[in-house]
Amino acid sequence: MSNSRFFSLLVLILAGYCQTLYAEEVNTTEASTTATEGNSAWPQFLASENLSEDDYIGEVPKVLTISRLSQSLADSPSAVTVIDHETILASGAVDIPELFRLVPGMYVGTNAGFVYNTNHAVSFHGMNSAYVGNMQVLINGRSVYSPLFGGVNWSELPVALMDIERIEITRGPNAASYGANAFSATINILTLTPSETPANSVLVTHGNGRNEAFYRHAGKAGSLAYRATLGYRQDDGLDDRNDFKRTRFVSAQADYQVNTNNMLEFEFGLTGGDRGEGNILEDNVVFVPRTKQINNYFGLARWKHQLSDTSDFQLQAYHSYDRSDDETTSVELKPVFKGIANAQTSRRLRAQFLFIANNLAIDRLRIDNEVINERTDIEAQHTFSAGNSIRAVWGASVRQDTLYAPHYLGNKKTDKFDLQRLFGHVEWRPHRMWTLNTGAMLEHNDFTGTDISPRASLNFKPYMNHALRLSISSALRTPNYIEEKFDQKLVIPTTLSAPFPRALLLQTTADDGKVDPERIISRELGYMGKISGLQLDARLFSDRISDVIRFDERTDFTVPANVLLLNPNSVDSALNKGSAAVEGLELQTRWEITSNTNLLLNHSHIRIRETQDGLKRNFTKSMPVNTLTAMLTHNFSNGWDASLAYYQTSETTQLGDGDPVDLTRRTDLRMAHQFHSGVWSGEVSAVVENLFNEHYQEFADYNSLKRRGRINLRLDF
Amino acid sequence: MISNKGKIEWFKKSLAFLALVLGFFVPLLAQAYTGITIVMSAQTLTNKEFIDTFKAELVNTKNSSLKVKIINLQETEKLEVAENSELVIALGVKALAASANLKFSTPVLGVFIPMPAFNSLLVKSKRDLGNFSAIVLDQPFSRQFLLIKNILPASKKIGVLLGPTSSQYADLLKEEGEDAGLSVMEENVYLEADLIPKLNAALATSDALMAVPDTLIYSRETAQPILLTSYRQQKPIFGYSQSYVRAGALAAVYSSSKQIAKQAAEIALISQQSSNLLPPPQAPKYFSIMVNYQVARSFNLVLKSDEEIYQKVLAADTLEAK
Repeated sequence: MSNSRFFSLLVLILAGYCQTLYAEEVNTTEASTTATEGNSAWPQFLASENLSEDDYIGEVPKVLTISRLSQSLADSPSAVTVIDHETILASGAVDIPELFRLVPGMYVGTNAGFVYNTNHAVSFHGMNSAYVGNMQVLINGRSVYSPLFGGVNWSELPVALMDIERIEITRGPNAASYGANAFSATINILTLTPSETPANSVLVTHGNGRNEAFYRHAGKAGSLAYRATLGYRQDDGLDDRNDFKRTRFVSAQADYQVNTNNMLEFEFGLTGGDRGEGNILEDNVVFVPRTKQINNYFGLARWKHQLSDTSDFQLQAYHSYDRSDDETTSVELKPVFKGIANAQTSRRLRAQFLFIANNLAIDRLRIDNEVINERTDIEAQHTFSAGNSIRAVWGASVRQDTLYAPHYLGNKKTDKFDLQRLFGHVEWRPHRMWTLNTGAMLEHNDFTGTDISPRASLNFKPYMNHALRLSISSALRTPNYIEEKFDQKLVIPTTLSAPFPRALLLQTTADDGKVDPERIISRELGYMGKISGLQLDARLFSDRISDVIRFDERTDFTVPANVLLLNPNSVDSALNKGSAAVEGLELQTRWEITSNTNLLLNHSHIRIRETQDGLKRNFTKSMPVNTLTAMLTHNFSNGWDASLAYYQTSETTQLGDGDPVDLTRRTDLRMAHQFHSGVWSGEVSAVVENLFNEHYQEFADYNSLKRRGRINLRLDF
Repeated sequence: MISNKGKIEWFKKSLAFLALVLGFFVPLLAQAYTGITIVMSAQTLTNKEFIDTFKAELVNTKNSSLKVKIINLQETEKLEVAENSELVIALGVKALAASANLKFSTPVLGVFIPMPAFNSLLVKSKRDLGNFSAIVLDQPFSRQFLLIKNILPASKKIGVLLGPTSSQYADLLKEEGEDAGLSVMEENVYLEADLIPKLNAALATSDALMAVPDTLIYSRETAQPILLTSYRQQKPIFGYSQSYVRAGALAAVYSSSKQIAKQAAEIALISQQSSNLLPPPQAPKYFSIMVNYQVARSFNLVLKSDEEIYQKVLAADTLEAK
């Protein structure tokens, strides 16, 4: 070091010396006023004078551990869409599934379907019903898809939008990294860690058919950081549907830093509420409009252990319990059967139904449609790097799902489903321009035995900001309970005995339990680039799906003796039938036009082809050919910001309870004003959904959407 | 008045006599207390490493006349034994605070001392720079900017969070930043609750964040939210210690205890030759760099080897020195 360096440092030290002198002077003169005025900044000023060598050379707990650090998108084996906290706010969305409209290749249907009719359908690349069951959905690593139908009851998740830090959507199969059900895509919801959360926040929302209130508290006690959120949501649903929701929840998260190498994390959630269920359009006899109750909870514990700077270990266990308490009583049955009798043209049949109508043993049918599912999952994972070119993760997990669903399973037993998996993934960078990712998951489960889902990708980065990705990935989807053990029937006893039927049977589904997993092989060519403020992610993909699991007539169904089957030609069973090719293009761009103006523009063009006979109905129309999303956000200088979002989906015919719907256009506007006043800061915002009040249908013609507005107020203190 | 005068005269005479008597013993006493005393507040690995290297460095210079005595404050509170040392080296703030109370003619050199802590002790002890100095822990900003420029050549704007202690460096940071071709974007944090919002603001407007020590901002407790926020915004942090780099900062310039010991040994020899006058407080002369390649990889940064980066920073650092 030269003399001039020494000199400048000396000047600096003398400057500090003078400041300290000055500070001491101020200290003595201000001391009396401090006591009277209670200036809160002052004690902190004094505290900060206590810098010691420990602040420079002391140990700091490892935060960005190797397992926390995700691959950079340029090295990633799959296409990823990240919806960050700012985007969530800018979208003005009030429900989690609404955010997935921002993902190219996804289709979102509000309150789709006749059963669980308050639930959104969120599907990727189509081929799905209202009960989408081919995605892995995780909240902080906890799998939340239902073992019953494979989908997610979105409104029952104990997560407030304001607690979500980001959502990462892996577009395409990724079983090697995300495990079972990561078939068409994976949605990974990550919440803010307690240490990042403001001490107290209140959020209230009021709008058309909507009222919401949340309170969140976060704090620290030594090495423990915690957060708890209380929430209430009330949603009146759509016109002409029995789809209201009232939800109360508590969610809590705590991080305990045991020492520099060990961290314990805990999560807990409790949800309760009422749901509208049943629609007169679909069923006005048995599953009539009614209200059901939901009660869910979960608990999770995670231990993160730092083995070395380049290796860490994680052990996670969680248990979840979801109960839907639903009971329905049919209308009086005698008039129904009389009505059926009168509608018959054949005199013999008319007489037969009248005879039955007069000899029913019960007036009404009472169905216990309670569903209780529990999930217990333990997972161990080891992440490490070997030199600068290899990074790997491997691990294993065991899971048990249990299901009690007397109406769906045809018995009052609690059924158990066990699943074990072993997974591994290696990222190898032999050269700065090349990254090779390979991985596989080996899965064994009670329904379909043992199978493997491998994956490989090669990324080429000729320039710093440009990367190409070539990848092939396979995955399989284990049938869910509906596809494996569905035994849904209505039994109406009569007062008759042989040779007349002692009971009437309406058997809608009777699975034979012989279904193989559905398979996907996905190939893609992707490009990721950055040209000044413009980020581009484009991919061409081709998915081959085979052994498609679907429902078809079961020909070998045997009717018990002395029982009259009311629907002899429509007893369904799940089976593997047909194959399809799903091909297309997904484009996602993010353009920072100025430092205050951003444009997000996403587009997908998807074609579904039948490659093997068997995919009846509307499989090829189950995804809109074109979807377009654009969101323009602007920050005005005076605390105001605004965003304008546009969503367009071309015509589609969704499977399951869906039917043909036309092209939809929707424009949402959000205006927000941020304010700070002493310890209070916050934001007032107004959102108008469907600004131009286009009366469009989503998912099915019974779902009409109109303009809706909301006002939100958030306070942090 | 008269009687008083008489007393003073008597006192003066007695003092002169005492001086005379003591004068005979001075050579003896000086020999008895000569050498260097190292004062530490605890026996830590860092301190041990410092002492071992320091001794080894003195042996290397073939200056065996300098003896080294160690005082651990945990074992004794009595520092008087250090009073007549040619030089007292205090390891850490606690040891320096204790040593600052020794008589002013005993030169005291602090090591492992944050610059603000040194300034504060300088004022409190009312000592002069000639007999009170330090090798501070703070790396020169220019050196840190060199590291940033070497790792992120395209970077133009560097964010800094300044708190109650570090705000005094605002102007210097700006100046040295300009010299390095970097605009320093500062955000001031005076309340703990402001930390994350201000960090977000600083990251949003810059290419990376440079950490400047301040207890309100950088601590064990805040490491998690700070590093997570940086990671989520994909804007790296340049730390000031190895442990911050291990925790998730992209890189840091730091000096090991061995490097500081080497510099301290050099100062000991200089002060011996210049009648125990200490050079002015100084920044670490020898330094290392540390890069977190896992973080670099996750941020999609392709970096040279740490040795290459170090050589470049070192070359530029020395160039400036010429």
